[in-house]
Amino acid sequence: MTLPLETLKERAAGDALLARFGLDLDCALLVGDGDTDWLIRIERGAVAHVTKGPLVMPKSDLRLRAASEAWARFLEPVPPPGYHDLFALRRYRRIQIEGDIRLMSAYLFYIKRLFALLRGGGS
Amino acid sequence: MKPLVEPIAGRYLRLELLGRPHRLYVEEAGQGIPLLCLHTAGSDTRQYRGLMNDPEITRHFRVVAFDMPWHGKSSPPAGWQTENYRLTSADYTRMVLEVCEALALERPVVMGCSIGGRIALVLAIEHAARFRAIIGLQSGATIDPYYELDWLHHPQVHGGEASAAYVSGLMAPTSPEAERWETLWHYMQGGPGIFKGDLYFYRGADGDIRERLSAIDTRACPLYLLTGEYDYSVSPEDTRAAAERIPGVKFTVMPKLGHFPMSENPALFLSYLRPVLEQIRAGG
Repeated sequence: MTLPLETLKERAAGDALLARFGLDLDCALLVGDGDTDWLIRIERGAVAHVTKGPLVMPKSDLRLRAASEAWARFLEPVPPPGYHDLFALRRYRRIQIEGDIRLMSAYLFYIKRLFALLRGGGS
Repeated sequence: MKPLVEPIAGRYLRLELLGRPHRLYVEEAGQGIPLLCLHTAGSDTRQYRGLMNDPEITRHFRVVAFDMPWHGKSSPPAGWQTENYRLTSADYTRMVLEVCEALALERPVVMGCSIGGRIALVLAIEHAARFRAIIGLQSGATIDPYYELDWLHHPQVHGGEASAAYVSGLMAPTSPEAERWETLWHYMQGGPGIFKGDLYFYRGADGDIRERLSAIDTRACPLYLLTGEYDYSVSPEDTRAAAERIPGVKFTVMPKLGHFPMSENPALFLSYLRPVLEQIRAGG
């Protein structure tokens, strides 16, 4: 997996934007790179558990999967146009977003922030 | 911090618009050639704060911007509570012409961004003689939808936050953080369903004007198209595809800018806009 998800809980802890936009959020996000799937469990707006696959029929609210090359470019400190945002990936069909789109829309700032936190050192 | 009164003046304009009485909020700064600025879908005139505060521009241009009805400090028309707001190309075109007339703007330069950039193309097709020059920011003749509009107006989703989050990635990651969040705040303040209603004409029935572009005569009215490279809603390739159908158009890609150039990074945007305005001014 290209995304340093094993460090997500640490990176997310105390983040002011997640706190602002994660009001009352409880959900499970499945994140994949075509090879490995990870399950991120969010409770009351905080990243509670991050589980590395293989997962056996996991229950998830939203599934975001992109090729590892797309994630790698997304993670660059200044990503190139078309790779700099989850919706940029979506526009060019580089990411599959499936599941509860109402939840995604209501918490889109939170979800985008969660992925942006994976950029840069600390991994 | 020393207090500063900006040179922008705001007033309310009462007028008959699209056959109904309206109360519009209009801002302006500067003197000289009228430059009418059109904001993006779901936002308001505050997007042009950088332009109106730039003495180099306001020395020669009277910069005017209005909040479209239902936007910013402009009211919706009486009876709005039973209506489903949906902007059409014809109504938007007529609105621009009627505001120009009401404010007695004589052969203004018109500049619009996003849906305003689309209507700039429509004005170039249909009403070129009425303008000194036309500037389209993030202009495309069609659009490739990549999200469902229904979630922008839904009782279980905060429309302002959702609209802002949907457009947040359209800006360059290098744009100053404070300006990016200012731009998003305008979206968060939008009226319920208004961003979605604006996109009706943009993505709906009259949302593809590719075949009409060859009617643009840039000798009658110069046309400038500027597009930020980080915009994936109207990408540089999208504007280039439109520009290739318009002889004489001047097309510029703006590195390190996105879908809201005048608002996400006013200083950088003005470095691209000033030479364009100089050319327009020299053209008389």
